[in-house]
Amino acid sequence: MTDPAQHNAGKTCWNCPAVEFKGHVDFRACGQAAFSRAAEGQLVVECKRREEIGYFDPMSITYDACPEYEATEFGYLLRGMRVMILGMDGYLGWPLALKLAKLGCQVFGIDNMLRRELVAERGAQSVLPIGSMQERIESARELLGVEIDFRPIDLCDREEFFAYVEEVKPEAFVQYAEIPSAPYSMASVETATKTIYNNNIGTLNLMFAMRDYAPEASMIKLGTMGEYGSPLTGRPLFEGLFPGDAVLQHGDDEWSLGGELVPRDPVSFYHVSKVQGTFTMYESCKYWWLRGIDVMQGVVYGLHTPELMTDPSLNTRFDIDEWWGTVINRFVAQAVVGAPLTIFGSGNQIRGYITVADAMQCMIRLLASPPEPGQYEVVNQVTDVLSVRELAQTVARIGRDEFDLTPTIQRIENPRVEAEEHPYEVIHEKLEKDFGFSSQSNVEDEIRYMFKRLMEPSSRELIEASRDTLFPKTLWSGGEKTLEVVEADLDY
Amino acid sequence: MHHRPVFVDFWASWCPPCKMMEPIVDRLAVEYEGRIRVAKVNVDRNRGLADRLNIKGLPTYMMFAGGASTGSLTAAQTERKLRGLIDEALIAGGPEGDTDG
Repeated sequence: MTDPAQHNAGKTCWNCPAVEFKGHVDFRACGQAAFSRAAEGQLVVECKRREEIGYFDPMSITYDACPEYEATEFGYLLRGMRVMILGMDGYLGWPLALKLAKLGCQVFGIDNMLRRELVAERGAQSVLPIGSMQERIESARELLGVEIDFRPIDLCDREEFFAYVEEVKPEAFVQYAEIPSAPYSMASVETATKTIYNNNIGTLNLMFAMRDYAPEASMIKLGTMGEYGSPLTGRPLFEGLFPGDAVLQHGDDEWSLGGELVPRDPVSFYHVSKVQGTFTMYESCKYWWLRGIDVMQGVVYGLHTPELMTDPSLNTRFDIDEWWGTVINRFVAQAVVGAPLTIFGSGNQIRGYITVADAMQCMIRLLASPPEPGQYEVVNQVTDVLSVRELAQTVARIGRDEFDLTPTIQRIENPRVEAEEHPYEVIHEKLEKDFGFSSQSNVEDEIRYMFKRLMEPSSRELIEASRDTLFPKTLWSGGEKTLEVVEADLDY
Repeated sequence: MHHRPVFVDFWASWCPPCKMMEPIVDRLAVEYEGRIRVAKVNVDRNRGLADRLNIKGLPTYMMFAGGASTGSLTAAQTERKLRGLIDEALIAGGPEGDTDG
């Protein structure tokens, strides 16, 4: 097992966003192995941060030997790395901003505040009270001693976004600025269009901004495990690309599938938009020598990082309604106000899950270890693989045994189009093997902590006020309906 | 004096199959240890060489024996095909059981 702080010690300038390729590298050669003329000598680069070292072989300096790198518990981190978070106001964007700022990164962020708008339209709200972005930044300054730069920019507004990128010249981008809701994307043609447009045009703008203003930066885009679907054949969900020994047989012939993108089967228009985002990024890396990591994240839950725990004024948003809440968060909220925990269909649907805290650790390790130029990397960001039913039972048990609640679990008609009985094997090794990740969370503790927070009067009141939004009604087939209860009062 | 045949793996950062084939190449290197040598050449950092050898697609796996190329394969390959490439070169390179000179 490698030391988790040393996972990127041996990386070189070839991986570093501070490298200067311009003038030394022919970008048109990426993706084409035919070279029109023989190159003179060897590839050399310059360093944007250390101009005094002149031209050198990009493989000659390692992170652990470079004065621009600092050893941290997450690996060697570029000093004061300029990171731009797209979607900084969100559930994940805000905790990441705080964490990176505390690690000494220069944090820049944008958000169009659409999430707040759409949640309010639904008659719901964050059940952890959150202030305005200005207030949050002020609290971060006072309580954590960090400066975070924020602009209220829409990623789909090319002119404004490009101007900000040109001004900042980020060394890393985190693409969180996507509408993440499957039921929202299925509610109507308007919401489907909005989801697909926001997510894909936003990602497209990011690719062009990187090409033109920050080609050596790395980008980490949030994908989703849902891109893969849940193949009934039981084919394991490899990390984005087929391994080298995967073989396709047909008739008397066989071909290697090594390195090809694995099949996709997205179960909503939101998931479809993520699949397109994958192709946008995959191809752009090849066209333009960009460094990209596609994070196939499992369902994220929890509200618990050291920075968030500092003070309620640093809360991240926490949604629990049918459109914007994720399943474990919703189950805890339902238990807190005595609403039934709603399982869709059989409840045997299996998914991968990860806490916010673990997701943050993963993201920082990925930021610390960018891919090579032109490399499209994929990781499956999952720690636990569980069925919906198991989760409901675990939440209900903890609520009853430790918090004196009387939760009930119901199975209701499934509003979604999805397999309810299916094999599900997730390969999730890269984050541990290559990036030194080690989970610091467990499901039960995270649920306990969520109960503690959500039972505080301020949150409990907010959940009560959004009670109507807890019970699902959006049909994949269109429209809304009161879903029937198929089985009431499941044991747990 | 006989030299071991050389298996050359031409790769680039922007080539996903190149990366995914690495464990297979490494496994073959272990299996054929002592009988062949394995070299990995990044085409972007070694453009002159890649150009001279007319590398047209990646990955390209090329065998050299007795100073000349005995064959090459382009694109991700099944293990069977890679063994075929190596075994042909071993036959062409000299008597069986030859040790490194």
